[in-house]
Amino acid sequence: MPPMNRRDVLRLLGLSTLGVTALSACAPDATGGGTARPSGDAAAKTFGFTSWSLNEEAQKAAVQAIVDAYASARKVTINTASFPYNEYLNQVTLKIRGGRLSGAVQLDVAWLAALASLGKLRDLSAHAAQGGYTEVGLSSGQFGGKQLGLPWTTGSIGLIANTEILEKAGVSELPGTIEEFEAALNKVAKLGDGVVPYAAATKAAQLKDILPWMKTFGSPLLDGDQITVGDDASVAAVEWYKKLYDAKLIAPDVDRFDARALFAQGKAAFYDDAIIARGVVAGQSPDKSLTEKMKPLARPVLSAGGTPQALLWGHVIVVVEGEGADAAADFAKFATSDTATVAGFFEKVKLPPTTTAGLGDPKVAGDAFTTEWTEKITKTAAPNPFWRYAGYAQIETAIAEQVQAVLVGQASAKDALAKAAETAKGLQK
Amino acid sequence: MTVTATPSRTAALVRPVRTRRRPDVVRSRVAAWVAVGVIGLFGLAPIYWLLVTAFTPDEKAFSFPPSLIPTEITLEHFVNLAKNEKLFGYLVNSVVVSLITAVLSVIVSAYMAYAFSKFRYRGRTSLMHLVLASQMFPQALLLITLYALFSATGLLGAYTALILSFTTFTLPLCVWMLKGIFDTVPSSLMEAAAIDGASRWRTLHQVALPLSAPGLVAAGLFAFVRAWNDFIFALTLADPERQTLPPGLVHTYLGEFQTAWPDLMAASFVVSLPVIAAFMFLQRYLVGGLTAGAVKG
Repeated sequence: MPPMNRRDVLRLLGLSTLGVTALSACAPDATGGGTARPSGDAAAKTFGFTSWSLNEEAQKAAVQAIVDAYASARKVTINTASFPYNEYLNQVTLKIRGGRLSGAVQLDVAWLAALASLGKLRDLSAHAAQGGYTEVGLSSGQFGGKQLGLPWTTGSIGLIANTEILEKAGVSELPGTIEEFEAALNKVAKLGDGVVPYAAATKAAQLKDILPWMKTFGSPLLDGDQITVGDDASVAAVEWYKKLYDAKLIAPDVDRFDARALFAQGKAAFYDDAIIARGVVAGQSPDKSLTEKMKPLARPVLSAGGTPQALLWGHVIVVVEGEGADAAADFAKFATSDTATVAGFFEKVKLPPTTTAGLGDPKVAGDAFTTEWTEKITKTAAPNPFWRYAGYAQIETAIAEQVQAVLVGQASAKDALAKAAETAKGLQK
Repeated sequence: MTVTATPSRTAALVRPVRTRRRPDVVRSRVAAWVAVGVIGLFGLAPIYWLLVTAFTPDEKAFSFPPSLIPTEITLEHFVNLAKNEKLFGYLVNSVVVSLITAVLSVIVSAYMAYAFSKFRYRGRTSLMHLVLASQMFPQALLLITLYALFSATGLLGAYTALILSFTTFTLPLCVWMLKGIFDTVPSSLMEAAAIDGASRWRTLHQVALPLSAPGLVAAGLFAFVRAWNDFIFALTLADPERQTLPPGLVHTYLGEFQTAWPDLMAASFVVSLPVIAAFMFLQRYLVGGLTAGAVKG
């Protein structure tokens, strides 16, 4: 390569700028223009159904059965598509903006706001009114005063205990308050043998688990549009977390994957997970009776009588305007509220239904773990208040990174959370 | 009387005199071996861990603390892989797309590189820099742009979309790599061919290209591996039935709540074998191709 002089460098910069400008001009704009738009007859009998579950070993047969049942009963054609969970939101967003995706779409409840901002989701209020959904289920599909998603499964991220370890440690009752929780952790710590009393998240990737603890200590996280992370309550929560960390009651470098592995091997007394954890952990454990020892518990409260905090978790089905949107909306209602369908789905994949009738079906009501979970944890679960912002993931990351800095002793809780709040404010769009 | 030395005696006579090595030489050799050992360990540890996980039963794979030496071995994950017809489809797609990308990249970049190396014309340097600059675009920007472009032209979902997109990011490096190689082909050879009556076309194909064979192989291998490993373009631009192995593996083994690590490791090991084989088979060309043009004679 010939040596580059100043003129060459300037020429290179100029050409780069020109190229980037030209490429940017070809790219679709933020509102989805620039390429084909969704078109076609909304009342058509052919529509798409996009779902990551259609490709996951544990669920695909059960989801496909729902698709096939609806298609044959209503004489419609459903074109299915799937993307991996970790890439799902990016792919669906790109395809909706490019006008290449319409019909029913499975969504994680955390993604609703991000997709709603594209302005292509149908308001399903009329369908929601007829479905018999639970209040908490309906809330997971609402955004901007509209019912944009019908709840397919509604659960929560909550605490799970290994009752065998607790018994060995002399803990006879599940803790209800922070004080009782700490006492239980200290008793478990005395067992030794490498048992982590609480396999709480301490890696930045999963440190968003601190948010329900901040709420437990009294921080609303968001008051209107004002981020309250950094207030006295959230600082107290992080200082308490740091205290557990220093006392080795929680372990360093743990994310959800590590926590499951620890719990599955009988090396953790408590950890946070979604209700589906039961099947996941059982698959990893050499102890075939572990599921019988698993017990969901409400997150301990600051003082007796308080409301336990839990993060809402679940899936909704939304409908993207375009060909077959009417039929897709009807399919969404069928998949999420037809009692025989949701009870059959629960039987296969253990995901709790979202309708009162579905929860009351003997197949569901007869499952003690699910019933307990719904009563103890999901009942008071609330969405993450940051989900309303498209940049919610970056906000969570900003908070998580600062909490990690506190855990490893690089910053005080007050300074770190003030910094996190400052970063988060810039991401409120 | 003549004395004839026996072979053993002769050997004894010519045996080199042993000298004691200086301590600093010994120390530096030990340090070199330690360094090689550490680097080797660093490079091979992930491959070892991949293999161990692939041969470990599911319930043992998640044992805590993890065990460096497997206590139980299973072939179940390789059997699962063999039974998975969908993965075979992804493999075929990978082979088709990567091979065509490699061939297309070599053909196009050879002509471009030859034009940059052997002809002098106005704007040559700018064009060369433009090719280099295109390597600097963020992939996300290219992806969105190509998505819109292929969508508008009806190519989205087809093999063509993948091959063209892969070629866009293999071309710049291939061109620069081959330009360096053509620079080392003496111009006197071209002039001799011209004096003998060969056209420019014939000179390129019968003189320059054969002499640059190692470089062409190296560029082709680079393009092949780049296309073979790409995840995000293959996931976004291709229909599910035309997607390549990286998105295929993610589709098959990674889920919302669970990753089938042992199965994924077994599949990753098996699908990396063609690339390893290609490198071993073409190694002698690769080394020559990558270093050609590094030093001008």
